Amino acid sequence: MLVVDDDDFNRMLLCKRVEQEGHRTATADNGREALEMLDDGSFDVVLLDVLMPELDGYETLERIEKDETLRHIPVIMISSLDEAESVIRCIELGAEDYLPKPFDPVLLRARLNASLTKKRLHDLELEYIEQVGHVVEAAAAVEAGTFDPATLDEVARRNDALGQLARVFGRMAEEVRAREQRLREEVHQLRIEIDEAHAERQVAELTETDYFRDLERKVDELRLRPETDS
Amino acid sequence: MTKIVSIHSFRGGTGKSNTAANIAMLLAAEGRRVAVVDTDIQSPGIHALFSLEQETMRCFLNDYLWGSCRIEEAAADVTPNGDITGQVWLVPSSIKPGDIARVMQQGYDVGLLNDGCRALIKELSLDVLILDTHPGLNEETLLSIAISNALAIVLRPDRQDYEGTRVTVSVARKLRVPRMVLVVNKTPAAFDADHVKERVEKTYDCEVAAVLPHSDELMVLSSEGIFALVHPEHALTGLYRHIAARLIA
Repeated sequence: MLVVDDDDFNRMLLCKRVEQEGHRTATADNGREALEMLDDGSFDVVLLDVLMPELDGYETLERIEKDETLRHIPVIMISSLDEAESVIRCIELGAEDYLPKPFDPVLLRARLNASLTKKRLHDLELEYIEQVGHVVEAAAAVEAGTFDPATLDEVARRNDALGQLARVFGRMAEEVRAREQRLREEVHQLRIEIDEAHAERQVAELTETDYFRDLERKVDELRLRPETDS
Repeated sequence: MTKIVSIHSFRGGTGKSNTAANIAMLLAAEGRRVAVVDTDIQSPGIHALFSLEQETMRCFLNDYLWGSCRIEEAAADVTPNGDITGQVWLVPSSIKPGDIARVMQQGYDVGLLNDGCRALIKELSLDVLILDTHPGLNEETLLSIAISNALAIVLRPDRQDYEGTRVTVSVARKLRVPRMVLVVNKTPAAFDADHVKERVEKTYDCEVAAVLPHSDELMVLSSEGIFALVHPEHALTGLYRHIAARLIA
């Protein structure tokens, strides 16, 4: 959890409450510092004060929401400003929720848990999309002849339909690879086996006829005439 | 100098007609006057590759062989529109069941085939005459080989073809064909083409003009067109071009 508040006491109090709920915290004094920390680290929820020097909560929230890499992190606004107008503005800007100061620990817990659930669902969705991408890349690799079965190991460990797809795909790709390998090996052992005696008998049957002897005798004449005629 | 080229195989289904049609079109693309004669009277099929509707034809090779018409009357101009600077004709065999049955029952004077080829060369001022033969070795195919300046024997890398190809090569040598090449067709992609070429050449002591891979594009095209026209830049077209060059060299 990233706790952002310019007031040392409020920040400390909030951190203590959040840590009592079993979460780890990091802190920032203002919006600018918070954005820098968000860029550098991985956070599940941001608890953001509204009124702060340098970069207030509204603008910080706006920048988070505009950033494709940060907008999925739930932001809970915390401020003594409990007017409806401020709440509406924060929700419109993309805040996940709003907690008035002094905060109610029960309400804080409920909203933290709701935000964390949403964040985890989002993370699972991202992971799913990423792993679907691995399967798609594996299909392209099979086409290109560069498929490495290990690239699907992580996806294949899933217990859902995608995991089953990855396992079946990996198995089939391996079967195709093994078959092609066998074919390659067979061609190296390519044996053109001919029953020469049988072939000779067939040649004799064909060439020891009157028709063939006649053809053989006339062949030069037959072959030359089209050329001379042309 | 006019060349007569036979495209032959011991067994059916090796891709003989496809090879003949593609070679004909590629030679015409280089400005030559080329005719293809479908001498596979018992199971004709090459007309489909040239998109020739038999209903539009008044005469076929059958009619010439039965003395009903001159051979040039059975020649259809199948030159496609576009970049072909030469000209291509096809003398098709009839696909009418009655005509095929008549050939099977009564046969025909195979000597007429030779006369017809010479007449066709003269009347159409041909540079190349290609004979798409019936598989196996009967009197017609022996004559085709005997009158040819070059022979391509198409085989698949399949044990059923090996012995028949040996017999065909031996017979063709006895008929002193000036140029003979083998074409290994429908080769599985997993096979190494250089290795197949080396083994086949060593086995038959005969040049392998090309090892053609099994082609999905060719299968998709089926018998509805000529591959070299549809895919002029494809590697397979390059191999057909090489076969053509080797046959008329």
